Amino acid sequence: MPGAARPVVSAGALVRLFHVSKSYLAGSWALRDVSLELEKGEFVFLTGPSGAGKTTLMRLIFAAEQPSEGQILVLGRNVSRVRPAAVAPLRRRIGVVFQDFKLLSRRTVEENVGVALDVVGVSERDKRARVFAMLKRVGLQHRRYHHPLSLSGGEQQRLAIARALVNDPEILLADEPTGNLDPELTLEIMDLIADAASRGTAVFVATHDYSLVERYGRRIVRLEDGEIVQDAPVRGAIR
Amino acid sequence: MSGVAQVQAAFRAAFHGIRSSPVTSIVAIATIGLCLLLVGAFVLLVNNMEQLLDGFGEDIRVSAYLEAGLAPEEQADLAARVETAPGVEAVALVTSAQALERFRAAQGERAALLDGLDENPLPASLEIALVPDQRNQEGLAVLREALDGLPGISELGYGAEWIEGYEQAVGLIRGVGISIGGVLGLATLLIVANTIRLSIYTRRDEIEIVQLVGGSPAFVSAPFLIEGLAQGIAGGGAALALLYGFYRVMLPGLRDGLELLLGYADPIFLSAGGAGWLVVAGAALGFLGSGVALLQDGARR
Repeated sequence: MPGAARPVVSAGALVRLFHVSKSYLAGSWALRDVSLELEKGEFVFLTGPSGAGKTTLMRLIFAAEQPSEGQILVLGRNVSRVRPAAVAPLRRRIGVVFQDFKLLSRRTVEENVGVALDVVGVSERDKRARVFAMLKRVGLQHRRYHHPLSLSGGEQQRLAIARALVNDPEILLADEPTGNLDPELTLEIMDLIADAASRGTAVFVATHDYSLVERYGRRIVRLEDGEIVQDAPVRGAIR
Repeated sequence: MSGVAQVQAAFRAAFHGIRSSPVTSIVAIATIGLCLLLVGAFVLLVNNMEQLLDGFGEDIRVSAYLEAGLAPEEQADLAARVETAPGVEAVALVTSAQALERFRAAQGERAALLDGLDENPLPASLEIALVPDQRNQEGLAVLREALDGLPGISELGYGAEWIEGYEQAVGLIRGVGISIGGVLGLATLLIVANTIRLSIYTRRDEIEIVQLVGGSPAFVSAPFLIEGLAQGIAGGGAALALLYGFYRVMLPGLRDGLELLLGYADPIFLSAGGAGWLVVAGAALGFLGSGVALLQDGARR
């Protein structure tokens, strides 16, 4: 098996997991003894079959869950012991893209992106400028006054990415971001995510689409039954 | 980055909340308005009764009847001593002859009957006026204690003993008003809390998303507190408007029925301060209702 877990030695890592396990039921492990790290600007695919623990791993990183065992350091904070009051400031530095988008259906496209800037207290004028620039980057500037339900699936996913990236996060977590999209839209979305990595954001993309992994040729962490069975370094892209 | 921008965002979110669930908002406003309308009606009644009482107070005169046989110097000396008693504004000596003259004048045509008297039966007296803030039962009690056992005074008369009963009635109505206000306030608080909990529940997804992008508990809670505050102010304002409508339109038609309670004095409305407090009470009910809802919701999660 090509490298179960890479040694955790890098001083510049933004995410570090040390022997992390997560159990929801006694005797049943969603994650087991997972150790890995993610560095600035790194683009990592998290692969594995459904139920392998990909979503659990993502949720642990943005402190939606606490590990049953082990330690998790995110941006220098130990999220295994983080106080509830410290969770919000940590999340402002992490962008998250969900497979089901999680958009505010009663707010406009502009407001959906702006909410990530509202929570950090960006002034109205700056917010408008940054939101517009971000919408332009994902090609949705002409739809800024529409509501999410009037957008196509691809547009909704681009909107979710715009919200995740507008705050220039240090880490981007994307859980099956192309799960419901056709191949053309999939590449469009993945290019946006890869662009974020090229700008210095550490990107973690959970997917079970191996063609995507092959196409982008980035580091792969493969989970099976909650354990890392492969942590392969960067390979050349096929395109 | 600034707290001002976060406050603006919280106000925008509160506005969205009200706009997206108008029925919930209307229920909260109506509940607060109804509660404050009833409380306001009691305050209005008590204020008017107190006004009537103040009017009676101005007429309170205490008469200290003097023992027979006191020399005019002794009567004058007694008047001077009474003038130094606590709460006394002025003392006027009414001699026995002056009392008879007054009585004769009051009798009109029947005054001739008094001609048959061999001697003047009316005692001399001291008419005592109290300072304005002592023209009540407490002031009279203080005066009674001060004059008790003073040589030369045989009896004290107030001429308005029934005021004591009226004061007790005002106190009773005030007490009932406070009790009903307390019970209604608590019931309203719980109804508003449950209404806003419903609003929180329907916006659970929205709350989750704001938390996921890094919204602090205060940032998530603030729109609901602002919503409660706005609903409370609207409820208080509605109660005030309805109460004023009642005062202007309906009260004149009910004057005869309320004569026993309010006499024929012109009814007064709440003072500016009183009206302000009604709106502030509404704001407090809405704000606290939201706070209770958030605490209950937070405890459940």
